[in-house]
Amino acid sequence: MPEEKNITCIGCPMGCAVTLTIDDDRKVTSITGYKCKEGQKYALAEYKNPVRTLTATVLTQNSSQRLLAVRTTAPIPKTKLLPGIMALAEVRAKPPIKMGDVVISNLLDTGVDVVATSGLLF
Amino acid sequence: MSELETQVLIIGGGVLGTAIARELSRYKVDVTLVEKEVDFGWGSTKANMCIVCQGGDALEFRKEYHRSRLVWESIPLTEPLCRQLAVPFKRIGELTIFKDNEGMAKYQKLKTRAESLGITTHQFIDRDTLRQMEPNVTKEAIGALYDPMIAITDPVRLTMALAENARQNGVNILTGTEVLDISSGVDEFEVQTSQGSIKSKFIVNAAGMFVDKVAAMANADDFVVFPIKGYVGILDKKVGGLVEHEIHARPEAPGESNIITPTVYGNLIIGTPMKLARRNDYSTTRQMAEIGLRNAQKLVPDISEGDIINSFAGFLMFRNWELGWHECVVSPSRSVPRFISVSIGYPGVSAAPATGKKAVKLLTQEGLKLEENPNFNPYRKAITDFSKLSDEEKGALIAEDNRYGHVVCRCEMVTEGEVVEAIGRGATTLDGVKFRTRAGMGRCQGGFCSPRVISILARQLGIPEEEVTKKGGESRHLLYQSKQLLGVRE
Amino acid sequence: MNRQNVDVAVIGSGPAGMAAAIRAKQSGAENVVVMERAEQMGGLLHQCVHNGFGLLYFNEDLTGPEYARRFMEKAMDVKVTPLLETMVTKISPEREITAISSKEGYITFTPKSIVLAMGCRERSRGALNIPGTRPAGILTAGTAQRFVNVEGFIPGKKIVILGSGDIGMIMARRLTLEGAEVVAVVEILPYIGGLIRNEVQCLHDFSIPLLLEHTITQIHGEKRIEAVNVARVDNNRDPIGGTERRIECDTLLLSVGLIPENELSSMAGVELDPITGGPIVGEMRQTNVPGIFAGGNVVHVHDLVDNVSWESELAGESAARFAMGAKWAEKGKIALKPGRNIRYIVPQTISGEREITLYLRVSDLEEGVRLKIGDIMSKALRVVKPSEMLKIELPMAQLRKLKQGATEIVVDCEKRGK
Repeated sequence: MPEEKNITCIGCPMGCAVTLTIDDDRKVTSITGYKCKEGQKYALAEYKNPVRTLTATVLTQNSSQRLLAVRTTAPIPKTKLLPGIMALAEVRAKPPIKMGDVVISNLLDTGVDVVATSGLLF
Repeated sequence: MSELETQVLIIGGGVLGTAIARELSRYKVDVTLVEKEVDFGWGSTKANMCIVCQGGDALEFRKEYHRSRLVWESIPLTEPLCRQLAVPFKRIGELTIFKDNEGMAKYQKLKTRAESLGITTHQFIDRDTLRQMEPNVTKEAIGALYDPMIAITDPVRLTMALAENARQNGVNILTGTEVLDISSGVDEFEVQTSQGSIKSKFIVNAAGMFVDKVAAMANADDFVVFPIKGYVGILDKKVGGLVEHEIHARPEAPGESNIITPTVYGNLIIGTPMKLARRNDYSTTRQMAEIGLRNAQKLVPDISEGDIINSFAGFLMFRNWELGWHECVVSPSRSVPRFISVSIGYPGVSAAPATGKKAVKLLTQEGLKLEENPNFNPYRKAITDFSKLSDEEKGALIAEDNRYGHVVCRCEMVTEGEVVEAIGRGATTLDGVKFRTRAGMGRCQGGFCSPRVISILARQLGIPEEEVTKKGGESRHLLYQSKQLLGVRE
Repeated sequence: MNRQNVDVAVIGSGPAGMAAAIRAKQSGAENVVVMERAEQMGGLLHQCVHNGFGLLYFNEDLTGPEYARRFMEKAMDVKVTPLLETMVTKISPEREITAISSKEGYITFTPKSIVLAMGCRERSRGALNIPGTRPAGILTAGTAQRFVNVEGFIPGKKIVILGSGDIGMIMARRLTLEGAEVVAVVEILPYIGGLIRNEVQCLHDFSIPLLLEHTITQIHGEKRIEAVNVARVDNNRDPIGGTERRIECDTLLLSVGLIPENELSSMAGVELDPITGGPIVGEMRQTNVPGIFAGGNVVHVHDLVDNVSWESELAGESAARFAMGAKWAEKGKIALKPGRNIRYIVPQTISGEREITLYLRVSDLEEGVRLKIGDIMSKALRVVKPSEMLKIELPMAQLRKLKQGATEIVVDCEKRGK
């Protein structure tokens, strides 16, 4: 059974609703609904490998601040966002930490690190 | 508190209950006041237009009405009381506008009646004078009846100040204490509250919208309160200059009366039609808001919806007793001795000073012996109002205590020092701080200051931030700590 | 520091203030101070822990704190003087600044020029007049953002968001990632109020229901909010009878628009545009008050921080030049007039003597349009949306086409012919 997948293009304010038809071999057989090449390109990439940068906070220990802001250094697969959040929930960051310091290296085997986006002086 | 004994128990910490408590604190008598909310004046006291009537609204204030007398007797008392308690009071005057000669004739009757009662301050003003006094009032008005005596105050702050001063003079005040049941013995009452039981010789029932329920608990009287609800909208200070007087239009149809008035803080408030409502239902509806705005625009066309920064329900009450409709109850029970019910309905704030004195008189008639308290101090010091200080005073105060250099509410310019003072005076909640300092009352409605006030409250009260409430009970502002919902933190 | 000798004072140190101060310094002003009420520069960027900042300015995808850090470091490099924990309470038309600081007490001084960079604030519930009770648990999305990302508290676990502004959508994702359930995002318009990228990455990614053409008609709950009524609206945005339903929740976030923060501007006698809510500015970001300039969200609410920085750099440069003696007319000779389907244009006036960038917003969503800048320039656009700001470069080559003595240019967004 061919399957249909809807993807909203984020290339411009138009937000085209692009529809992909996928056959039994997971091959894309048609793409419709886009109004420019960008939409076609985006929808294909988003179908094949949807990735997002994960941004969050982690708890601190022995610090004057309750939280430290963090991010992944590169986008990770969308499916890893929630597991990533659970992994970050276990972290207790201790000062001193400066922006860019690695908080978790190779998050969930994605090959991507989580780094501090702010600092903890004390 | 498990068990407590007192001579006089006042039920209700609204403007009447606290006025009575403060009046009783002039004497050497053991008085306890219980209030079900965690602070004072949060019931019907809060739900009004902040106007202090001067008895000239003679259409309502008939000579034979009790409450008219209490309002008249309060006239010379209110301003000095506000001064003693450092509560804002401002005489702004009232303009009751009319659009035709018929309207004017109606108000001529009102003026004549007021004069027959000895109120001689009313005068008619013509269109040109009205324009000069209030250029933004509707051009349809051909004149107005002017009463220069009408004043405004801050009813909640007055109530909080009365409670503070009563406490200062020895009254035992218990907040968060709800009366659940009352049994009357031979010479004392036993009152069950949410915090334990209280024995008392005398009871003053000033339970506001629940005055009938409390009376029924003691089998004291059989009357029913009918709350009547209206809409009150608060306008941004940036349009605060649109009018300087209370502008009033008498009803064209029943219940269609509407008012716009400045507040003591430079906002405007608009008020409108009243409808029968469920007791304690402080909700507003879209329809109320729409009519409220439309009616305000009939008085001052330049008001727009975007000027409204907050709105709430206003309340007044009527009572149905066995003898018929009553405009107020300030009397001893006819069946239970030493039990007095006090309810003005409206204007409670305007009648409060004399009602306090009247309640004391009724208590003595019921047998309470009073001896003057030589240590009674009628004065209460205001919480610092940083925004009102001169530049030099501001600098000096910050040098003394740098918490006054830390602005927590930018709209109303309230500093950390003032919030700490308010907590010292009894504020335990965000609303408690708001009513004492105005932090959160401005155009951003707490968006900026609430995180700051919450952390100051937590620090000063020694509780975690999540336990800070908006207005007591289940009104916690922040329900969880970070990561708590992910199941990794207790 | 001698405050009697300040060249440029910048009010606010968010993205606008930092960019203006740095550029003022780089443009030759010697003594540049930034006045900030918080303990550090950066403003609200510190609570915006999400990414999407700097895509245009740095060609990098940064988070709010990272974007702030770049400017903070640059400000230190070029020796801007920050006055922290200092709240400006008054600016006079003669440019006298009054401020209070917990360290220095009461401060007053008159710089040679001023840049207004106070940013914007959120519309509150009162401004919306939502009927119902007054319980705890109703807060603006930005206040929630501070609690969640800085203070370390989660307002509740069953959340309804009114309005689909960017902060609201970003908070929908943030709260979902904190374990709360966002049960609905309610938007009165037929389209979202924020950027399409946020709709996809904050709502679609987490299957958060978006109710377009709906509004909240009632709030329930005595002490803490318990539920809201939601109804569909008609073309006039009025609730349709019979479509009302109750949604249980313990928190209501408001993301219903931002308003430029201009109380200080008004005190200084700066003339405001009733549509943008910000100062009426010329192409140098000069206001009607000589020596007072403005940039960023205090002028008009932007969607992207990158544009805030750029616009404020212009204000900073102008302020520096003014401090060094340069003068311009307070108003440009040529007024830019919003025409068909144009809500506003910034700057409101231009001189016609230098190339400029126009920032504008449309009133209504439209597809297949042509943007016409008088008769000197036109540009076809596939779609225009009120929530997405348009940025148009107007080069000298085009401006030279203006008729001698022209006093206005009407900007129209026309429907393209079939």
